[in-house]
Amino acid sequence: MTVVELRDVTREHGEVRALNGVSLEVSRGELVAVMGPSGSGKSTLLNLAGGLDRPTSGSVTIEGRDLATVKDLAALRRGGVGYVFQDLNLIPSLTAAENVMLPRELDGVRARQAREEAESVLREVGADDVAGRFPGDLSGGQRQRVAIARALVGERRLLLADEPTGALDTATGDEILRLLRERCDAGVAVLLVTHEPRYAAWADRVVYLRDGEIADSTAVRLESAR
Amino acid sequence: MSIRHGLLALLSRGPRYGYQLRVEFEASTGATWPLNIGQVYTTLARMERDGLVAPGGADEQGRAVYAITEEGRRELARWFATPVDQTARPRDELVIKVAMAVAADDVDVAAVILAQRMAIMRTLQELTRAKRSSTEDAGRRLVLDSMIFKAEAEQRWLDHCEAVVKEKSA
Repeated sequence: MTVVELRDVTREHGEVRALNGVSLEVSRGELVAVMGPSGSGKSTLLNLAGGLDRPTSGSVTIEGRDLATVKDLAALRRGGVGYVFQDLNLIPSLTAAENVMLPRELDGVRARQAREEAESVLREVGADDVAGRFPGDLSGGQRQRVAIARALVGERRLLLADEPTGALDTATGDEILRLLRERCDAGVAVLLVTHEPRYAAWADRVVYLRDGEIADSTAVRLESAR
Repeated sequence: MSIRHGLLALLSRGPRYGYQLRVEFEASTGATWPLNIGQVYTTLARMERDGLVAPGGADEQGRAVYAITEEGRRELARWFATPVDQTARPRDELVIKVAMAVAADDVDVAAVILAQRMAIMRTLQELTRAKRSSTEDAGRRLVLDSMIFKAEAEQRWLDHCEAVVKEKSA
């Protein structure tokens, strides 16, 4: 089942064409990595796929809904899309559990249920032992686990990750990718932007962008075509 | 490295027979270095001649086992203590290919680089899959990590080539 689909998407910023005729699909259980030099359109692609931005032409569909027909993009994002960035992920004055609860409380879920959901998703990402601690007391890897929990809380099925391993050493970065991979295998669709081949290698498919276009991609493998 | 030092390292843990050495050698190098049983016996025979191993009788199933000698232990210690010579590595075809492509007038260097990049990416995906399935075996995982770091270094170098070529043509 396709979770997000970009069809012939172009995005122009004035004279500059940041993305040019890109088509891409990510299905449930699939991890797709986007690589390319800086300025190749990676972040533009991610912003469009998550409904943070609208294309100049072409269509973006999230879980069957064409974003052109969606008035309240913020509501769609909150309900279906989770984001993880390199840093600036967590609010320092809230505990790990409170950070994870936050998007659910914004959705109008009651505190008690939000806390239960937070605890459950923290367990899934192996961060339940730090639930009561503040971000400043956590290691980089633990912070990123909590950020992933927050991105997934409330059954979000699309996770967009922009250089989530940027500030981590390679062993911790590998652990984060192992975690994203596990979440994929549990049914989440992940679109990962990275400039590091070692992390892109965890993906089912690697797409290489150059000058706003898909230059090439490694083929979809049979075992991941579900 | 030579096969003999690998076998000596295995024998330093206790006497072993030929087939067992082959299996353990392959396992500890992450199955990246296949060995045939003939190589194992030839190497054992030479090491016996050089006094590094000695026949250690037979196990309960009648298989001839070998044991490491004191001289063998000294040789193994020397090997572990000696850094690998960087300059002894064979010439790198990738480097030569890209250098030749840059020097030629009628070759699309960007296409050469991209083709190489995607091939390395596929290799990296395979190595990562192998790593995912070897959570128990730290030795094997580190061998795979070494190959991943090497592939990564090649990718980085290709990034650099691409940037330099782009600048040159701009």
